[in-house]
Amino acid sequence: MTRVHPMTDAENKTSTVRARGNFSLLRGRPELISLFLLGLICAAVAWINPAFLQGSTLIDMARASVVTGLFALGVFTILASGGIDVSFPAVAALAMYGATKLVLDVFPEMFMVFIVLASVLIGTVLGAINGLLVHSLKVPALIVTIGTQYLFRGVLLVFIGTVWLMELPPQMIAFGQWSLVEIETSTGVTVSLPVYFLILPAAAVLTWFVFNRSLMGRAIFAVGGNPQIAARLGYDLRKVQVFAFAYAGALAGLAGVIQASANRMVNPYDFAGVEIEVIAAVVLGGARITGGTGSVFGTIVGVFLVTVVNNVLVLVGIPSTWQRVVVGTFILLAAAFFVLRDRKPAH
Amino acid sequence: MAEVSLHDAPFLELRGIHKKFGGVHALRGVDLTITEGKAYHLLGENGCGKSTVIKIISGAHEASDGKIYLDGVHIQHLSPIEALGAGIETVYQDLSLLPNLTVAENVALGEQLVVGKGSLMRLLNRKKMNESAREALSKVGLDADWTLLNATVADLPLAIRQRVAIARAIAAEARLVIMDEPTTALTRQEVEVLIEVVGRLLANNVAVLFVTHKLEESYRIGGDVIVFRDGLCVTQGPLEKYSRTQLAELMTGRSIESVRYRTGTPQSKVLLCARGLSSGNHFRDVDFSLKKGEIIGVTGLSDSGRNELAMSLAGHVPLKKGSLKLDEESIMIGSPAEAISHGIGYVPEDRLSEGLFVEQSIYLNEVPLILDRISAKFGLLNDKKGRMAASDISAKMKLNTEDVDLPVGSLSGGNQQRVLIGRWLSINPRLLILHGPTVGVDIGSKETIFRAIQDMAERGIGIMIISDDLPELLQNCDRILVMNSGRIVEDLRAQDVNEDCIYKSMLGDNQMEFLE
Repeated sequence: MTRVHPMTDAENKTSTVRARGNFSLLRGRPELISLFLLGLICAAVAWINPAFLQGSTLIDMARASVVTGLFALGVFTILASGGIDVSFPAVAALAMYGATKLVLDVFPEMFMVFIVLASVLIGTVLGAINGLLVHSLKVPALIVTIGTQYLFRGVLLVFIGTVWLMELPPQMIAFGQWSLVEIETSTGVTVSLPVYFLILPAAAVLTWFVFNRSLMGRAIFAVGGNPQIAARLGYDLRKVQVFAFAYAGALAGLAGVIQASANRMVNPYDFAGVEIEVIAAVVLGGARITGGTGSVFGTIVGVFLVTVVNNVLVLVGIPSTWQRVVVGTFILLAAAFFVLRDRKPAH
Repeated sequence: MAEVSLHDAPFLELRGIHKKFGGVHALRGVDLTITEGKAYHLLGENGCGKSTVIKIISGAHEASDGKIYLDGVHIQHLSPIEALGAGIETVYQDLSLLPNLTVAENVALGEQLVVGKGSLMRLLNRKKMNESAREALSKVGLDADWTLLNATVADLPLAIRQRVAIARAIAAEARLVIMDEPTTALTRQEVEVLIEVVGRLLANNVAVLFVTHKLEESYRIGGDVIVFRDGLCVTQGPLEKYSRTQLAELMTGRSIESVRYRTGTPQSKVLLCARGLSSGNHFRDVDFSLKKGEIIGVTGLSDSGRNELAMSLAGHVPLKKGSLKLDEESIMIGSPAEAISHGIGYVPEDRLSEGLFVEQSIYLNEVPLILDRISAKFGLLNDKKGRMAASDISAKMKLNTEDVDLPVGSLSGGNQQRVLIGRWLSINPRLLILHGPTVGVDIGSKETIFRAIQDMAERGIGIMIISDDLPELLQNCDRILVMNSGRIVEDLRAQDVNEDCIYKSMLGDNQMEFLE
C-alpha cells in the first residue's frame, strides 16, 4: 500500500517521548526519588551507627511495616481510582475488635484462619459501604469517609465494646508469636521475624496482580484518570468504586487482626490518627492525590521510607520528636519534585 | 421470511426520539436511519441537539421517549457497553482518551471490556491488547512501535492523540463510527489522513457519522447529509443535492448570503511594525507591519510557528530577538500583563481552558480588565457600576441573553466567544489578536462575530486573526500572511487570492531548511 506517511509523525512521536531527556525516567517512575531518599538515609544511618545493619533492627523494621503496608496498599488502590479514604483506621479497629469479640464470646475454638477471614469480611463489608456511599451520594470520598470514620468507630464503641481486651484467644496469641526466623542479638535477646510478616509481600503481589493483570486494575486507573470519560467508554463506575473501597476495607480488616495478634491485646481506640501517615507513605510512593497514578512498588517504597524514618532516627541520636519534621520535609520535597515533573516545558 | 426481513433492516434506526433535560426539550421527535457502509454528515447550529442524539446512539444518555432499532431489533435500553458491543464507536470532540493510560490501553482495552460484556473480574490479555492496538494504529498511519504503544497519552501532541482516538474506534469490529468534529484540531495534512481512513472504513462496509461545521470536508467525503434544527431533523438526503447556501439556510432557518464581510479600508498610519522577530525554534526573522484599522490573517500548518507568533505578541511566549514598534514607540513584551498595558489583547484558541472562567457568571467574565474603572475607594468593587459595564458589553456583543449572572458555561460556543471578545473591547485595545475566533462556533454566531470584528477595525483597532479556516480569512482580512517552517513565506492581498494558492504556500517545500 502506498501511503504518504507525514514526516512529522515520527519526529513528533519520538520527540514527545524523549523530550524530557534525563527527566523522563523519573517522570514515569517518581517513586525512584523516594527510593533514592530511602537508600540515602539507610546508608547514612548505617555509616553513623552500624548497629542499624544488625538483623534485629531489620526485623523490627519489617514487623513495624506490616500494618502500615497493608493500609497503604488499600489507600493506594482507592487513590488510583480517584478517591481517598480516611476511614480505614476505624474499619480496622471495628474488624479487629468485632472478630476478637466473636471468638471470645461465641466461638472460642474457632481456627485462626477463620478469625482472619472474619476480620477481612467485616472490613470488606464496611469498605463496600464506603464505596456505595461515594458512588450513590456523588459526594467527594473525603467527606464520605470522614463521616463513616466517625460512624464505624461509634458503632464499635456503642454496640460492641469500649474496654480493652487483654485476654486474647490462645490461637491468636500463637499466630502472633509464630516465628519464621529467630536471631539472637549480641545482648542475648532473641528477636524473631514472625510468619505474619509474609502477609505484606503476599498482599503486595496480589495487589500488583489486580492492577497489572486484571481488567479491574486498568478500570481503576481509567476511572481515576477521568471518571466521565471512563463511563462513556463502558466502564461501570459503581463496580470500580465499590471494588476499590471494599478491597481497601479487606486489607484494613487484615491489618487489624494482625495488629491484635502481634500486640496480644485489642484496643478499641487503636489506629487513631494513622491515616495521615499512611496517606503520606502512599504519596511518597508516587501516587497522585488526584488519582489515576502510582504503583504497588512505589507504595511499598513509601511505606519503608516512613517506617525507617519513624524507627531509625533514634539510632543516630536524633530525638523522636524530630521524626515529624523529617517526614514533613520529605513530603514537601516530594510534592515540589512532582510539581516540577508535571510542569510542561514552556511552549 | 422473518429472518430475511431482519437481514434487510438498516443497521440503526431511531424513531420519534425525545430527550428532555429538566425543562429543556433537547430532542423533539427525531427520526434517523443509518445504513452500513455509508457516510453521514450531521449538521446544525450549536444547541440544535446534535450532541444529544450522538450521546443517545452511543448509550451515554437514555432517550426520554421513542424507539431504537439495531438491525431491526427493538432495543429497550442502550447502555454504553451495549452500544460498543453492537459495534457503535464514537470519537468524541474531546477525544475521550484516558490521559493517564498508555496508547495501547486506550486503543485496545475496550475490546476486552466488550468481550466480557463489561465484566471487570477478568484477566487482562496484554499480548492481545498490544496486537489489536498495533493493527488499529497502523490503519491510521501511525507506526506502532513499542515506544508509542507504551507512551502515556497525556504526553502526546494533540494531532497524534486525535489519531489514537480514531484508532480506538476502529480497533473493535466497528459497524458505525461516529466522529464529533474530528478535524477541528487537525492541520490540512492530517485531515487528508483522516479522509483516507474514512474511505477505508466505508469500503469495509462501516457506516461513518460525522458531526461537523466544515462543509468542504463533507463535500469531499460525500454521502448523506442530515440537518438538525431546534431538536428536529429537518432534512436527510444526498449531500451533493444541496448547495452550501441551502444547507446554511436549513441549519439557521433563515437565509445567509456568503459574502465578503470586509467592508472598511485600513487607515494610512502604521500601528505595529515587527522586524526580525525570532523565538527559539518556533519562528525566526519575521517581519510584518499592520496599519490602524487593518485586519491581517495569519495561517500555516500547526507547526509553522503561527501559534507561537501570536502568543509571543501577547506575552505568552518569550521573544528572543527582534524589535517591535507600536504607534512608532519601541516596546518590549515580556508577559501578558505587559502586553495588556500596551493595549494588546489576545483571544486564545481554546476559550474554555485558556480564556474563560467557565463556572463564573457572564458579569465576572466580562469585567476582569476594567476592575479599576468599576471599583470605588480602597479598591472595593462597585457592584452596580460593574453590572452596568457588563450589561453594556453584553448588549454591544449582541449576546442572546441580558442576564449577566448566568454562568458562561451555559452559553453556546458563539456566545462564549462574544463574551471573550467583549472583555477585550472594554479596554479599547490598540491591537487585538484573535486565535481561531470561530472554532466550534455555528454559522449564525460566526456572522455576528465577523460583524463585530469589522466594527472593531472600523474604530481603528488593528486586528490579527490566526486561523486554519481559510474562507474565514478570505472573507474578513485585508491581507493574509502565510507561515511555513517558522517564516512568513507569503504576504497576500485577500481580494486577489483563493484557498488553493494559500494551501500551496502553506505546504511549500522548505521543510528541511529550518533544521539546518
